[in-house]
Amino acid sequence: MSKGLRVQFNDVSKRFRTPKGDWYQALSGLSFIVEPGQFVALVGPTGCGKSTALTLLAGLEEPSLGTISVDGIVVQDIDTSTGFVFQHDATFPWMNVKNNIAAGPKFRGVPESEYEQLTTRWIAKVGLSGFEKHFPHQLSGGMKKRVALAQCLINEPKLLLMDEPFSALDVQTRAIMTDELLALWESSGATVLFVTHDLEEAIALADRVIVLTAGPAQIKADFKINLPRPRKARDIRFTEEFLRIYQDIWSELRDEVDIAYQRQLLASNS
Amino acid sequence: MTEEFLSEESIRRKVLIHRIRVHSLQIAIAVVLLVSWQVLTDHKVIDPFFFGKPSGVWHQLVVWFRHGTDVGSIWLNAWVTLEEATLGFAAGVILGIIFGVFLGRNRVAAEVFAPYIKVSNSIPRIVLGSIFIVWLGLGTLSKVALAFVLVFFPVFFNAFQGTREADKKLISNARLLGASKRQVTRKVVMPSALSWITASMHVSFGFALIGAIVGEFLGSQHGMGLIIATAQGTFNPNGVYAAMLIIAVMAVTAEWLITQLEDRLLNWRPTQVSGTDI
Repeated sequence: MSKGLRVQFNDVSKRFRTPKGDWYQALSGLSFIVEPGQFVALVGPTGCGKSTALTLLAGLEEPSLGTISVDGIVVQDIDTSTGFVFQHDATFPWMNVKNNIAAGPKFRGVPESEYEQLTTRWIAKVGLSGFEKHFPHQLSGGMKKRVALAQCLINEPKLLLMDEPFSALDVQTRAIMTDELLALWESSGATVLFVTHDLEEAIALADRVIVLTAGPAQIKADFKINLPRPRKARDIRFTEEFLRIYQDIWSELRDEVDIAYQRQLLASNS
Repeated sequence: MTEEFLSEESIRRKVLIHRIRVHSLQIAIAVVLLVSWQVLTDHKVIDPFFFGKPSGVWHQLVVWFRHGTDVGSIWLNAWVTLEEATLGFAAGVILGIIFGVFLGRNRVAAEVFAPYIKVSNSIPRIVLGSIFIVWLGLGTLSKVALAFVLVFFPVFFNAFQGTREADKKLISNARLLGASKRQVTRKVVMPSALSWITASMHVSFGFALIGAIVGEFLGSQHGMGLIIATAQGTFNPNGVYAAMLIIAVMAVTAEWLITQLEDRLLNWRPTQVSGTDI
């Protein structure tokens, strides 16, 4: 069991050049701390910069201002103790299921005897035994997502970043995947940052839900979720406790969603 | 309105009928063209001295394969041209891929070399044939060089573009999974550029043949280009057509081989279902 890492956002801002040539401010002075082993969901309206926060933390891009540190060390480049699950399919289309899942250990130079075993174990863990030789285009959306999860988790990341990983799935598959993720995470001890715009998903999964404002993102509210673990996401959403938390968080999120929506209307009218 | 799905049997029959129809029309076109060519030249409506005729082409082929040509056996000449084209093609493809991927992955190098590449691409490269003959003599090497310069650029541009178009998300994913820059190039960028590269290979084998034949026109001791030049010099249009036919057979065979290679290398792609067969 690997110990999770501590994440600290320190007054982080990020701006991008738009194609028109002006600046777009995605984050503005974002600060928060995530304790080791915590499962944190970041929720916020569309386009508020929550995905940007993850790409900065992963080291895929640099903040314009401020610093992000993981276990006290400032993030400057990609770190292989961080795992990332993308919103859209990022499996390698020219590798079959087995090679996709084995990609990480192979890149890292794990000896063949070891990664063979490890891969077989992870293929079984995500329920893809018998599909080893299939290519991604031959799999359903849910199965592809399982490949992506196994591909990431086989490296035992101590910090797991997930950017709306299940948003492209249908509702039923999504519920199943949520439970599978919970089971896999509970045995790993990793720190998780999970970006979503689905409040139900956030509450079912997380220890803590951070609500972000309409962009540039700042923290609007920060909720502890004290639902008991191990959880079953599919059952928990009908408990009274769940509904109460949902209402509390929704009352904070609603205004931001409205603001984001009004802005979109304005932008599309102009 | 039908009550049941079509049976396997009748679906297969439909496909078969469709195929027979297409192929018989294809054959009909060839027959009409050849027969009218033959008839028109037989009756001197068009002059066989300038335009040749199908029976003459056939006769020429028979003579070549039975008794050889003025410049040695037809097999030797065909082999020489094929060898020149293949060597030039192989060198052009390999170097085109290496340079294309290298510049595609290296932004500074790409920007530095961009004007040079543009200029050398805009030169009509066939002209270099004369220079290569002066430099490298009448032998194989000057033709290989000409085939090479014709093949290199299309392959290079496609490899470069394919490298640039590689999915950024897949590259990020590979890096997060622990891939070094080199591993990203070999395991992510190259496979995704491969469909671009094989697409350029289809066109460029034709260019390699052009390079070899034009090189032989310009000066050589053997080869299909020399045979064509000889036929031209003796006012023998049938000889030109017969040589063209042999070259066409080479090109079609090479195209088939490249398609086989492509299917092998890109076996991970979803199979394209064509509209007429379903």
